[in-house]
Amino acid sequence: METLLFFQQEVIPAFLKGLRVSILLILPSAVIGLVIGILTGALRAYGNRGVRLVADVYVTLFRGIPLVVQLFMWYFGLPYLNIYLNPFAASVIGFSLCSGAYHSEYVRGAFLSIKRGQLSAALALGFTKLQMVTTILLPQGFRRALPGCGNELIYLVKYSSLAYMITCIELTGEAKILASMTFRYTEIFFAVGLVYLVLITIASWLLQLVEDRFTVPGFEHHKL
Amino acid sequence: MADECILKVENIKKAFGKRQVLKGVSLSIRKGELKVLMGPSGAGKSTLLQCINFLVTPDEGEVWLEGSHINRARKHDLYAYRQQVGMIFQDFNLFDHLSALDNIEIGLARVKGLDKKAARERAMVELERVGLSDHAHHYPAQLSGGQKQRVSIARALAMDPKVMLLDEPTSALDPELIGEVLAVIRNLVANGMTMIMATHQIGFSRALADEIIFMEDGQVVEQGPPVKMFSDAVCERTRAFCAKISELYGEAF
Repeated sequence: METLLFFQQEVIPAFLKGLRVSILLILPSAVIGLVIGILTGALRAYGNRGVRLVADVYVTLFRGIPLVVQLFMWYFGLPYLNIYLNPFAASVIGFSLCSGAYHSEYVRGAFLSIKRGQLSAALALGFTKLQMVTTILLPQGFRRALPGCGNELIYLVKYSSLAYMITCIELTGEAKILASMTFRYTEIFFAVGLVYLVLITIASWLLQLVEDRFTVPGFEHHKL
Repeated sequence: MADECILKVENIKKAFGKRQVLKGVSLSIRKGELKVLMGPSGAGKSTLLQCINFLVTPDEGEVWLEGSHINRARKHDLYAYRQQVGMIFQDFNLFDHLSALDNIEIGLARVKGLDKKAARERAMVELERVGLSDHAHHYPAQLSGGQKQRVSIARALAMDPKVMLLDEPTSALDPELIGEVLAVIRNLVANGMTMIMATHQIGFSRALADEIIFMEDGQVVEQGPPVKMFSDAVCERTRAFCAKISELYGEAF
């Protein structure tokens, strides 16, 4: 009874507050990350050597350095250059850039898996380069990249739990504060784990809907 | 008007790195003619066809369509020219994410600017012409090789090309499926389509080609009407090649 009351009066309000921040972090990071990923992926698949090199360096750095360290750099490091980001902005930048680096790898693979002959066929019909990209390359690349990028979006939900390390208090941050005030670590972190599980279940379900919507024969991801 | 030269290609040269793949090839074709390119692999047949519509940019050489010179440096001219030259590939190159009907429709809608309804109607007509109206809503992954090639022919025809370039259209097909594709091409010949076709189908070429062009090592070695080419080619190499492939496909003369 006492636990129930504790959850009702303390945990749930704190979680709701944190959840709101988490979602505010996840949504823009997902969109920006995806845009960065598609652009970088396209450059790495089709760009000239110079462009590819720049994109490769970006990916190497942002995949190679732990996300927490990246966040510290944005939030604690940039002030040395007289650039001051608030915790929220630093988190979104950190998540987007890291996520974009991973997305670009899925996108690159997707583009490279498109048979080149189809591009010749489009040009032979009189398509402009731009029409070829928008009508052939992107629709096919999108379908091929979807499972990988979806996976990355799910990671992003969990990345967001690092934002509290740079004082952007989201769901995990609220949980940690509450836990250290009440010393009820077990219940609170168990509950917070459940909330992420629900979030990710919803996200996977949405991704599955998108995948089903765009599946055509020849692009299905075989389910057993 | 029947003598009018539709497409003229002059002195096409192309090198990939150090390898000179085309060493100055010229040809011209009149309305309604079928010219067949033959020769061993590596002779430059594919590269020549791709140079003709600039999918591969030739290092040297010029192309005229109906007497007007194609300025390939001008994007607008290039795209307009390609619309008038249909291309059929060895491995079909259908757009994998589009149904058979949409494969045909997309060029009409995007390139020709037809509205949705008109594009759909025209696409359906072309599918019927190649005998695939029942498969309109099937995707490439659901079609056989022969059906895919017929869709790709329909896709090219829908653009009302003045010339068609066919790059070994039956080489990737099972023997059983070759017939249905050749039947469609035979139909085009009967309807007066102008075509340049790389193929090793001897029986087909003998019966229908106006001229056989034998290529080797980036050059035209010999050319002439099929009767002459198959029975008394001047060049030793041509004779040897023709004997080899007729032996292979079991077609007696």
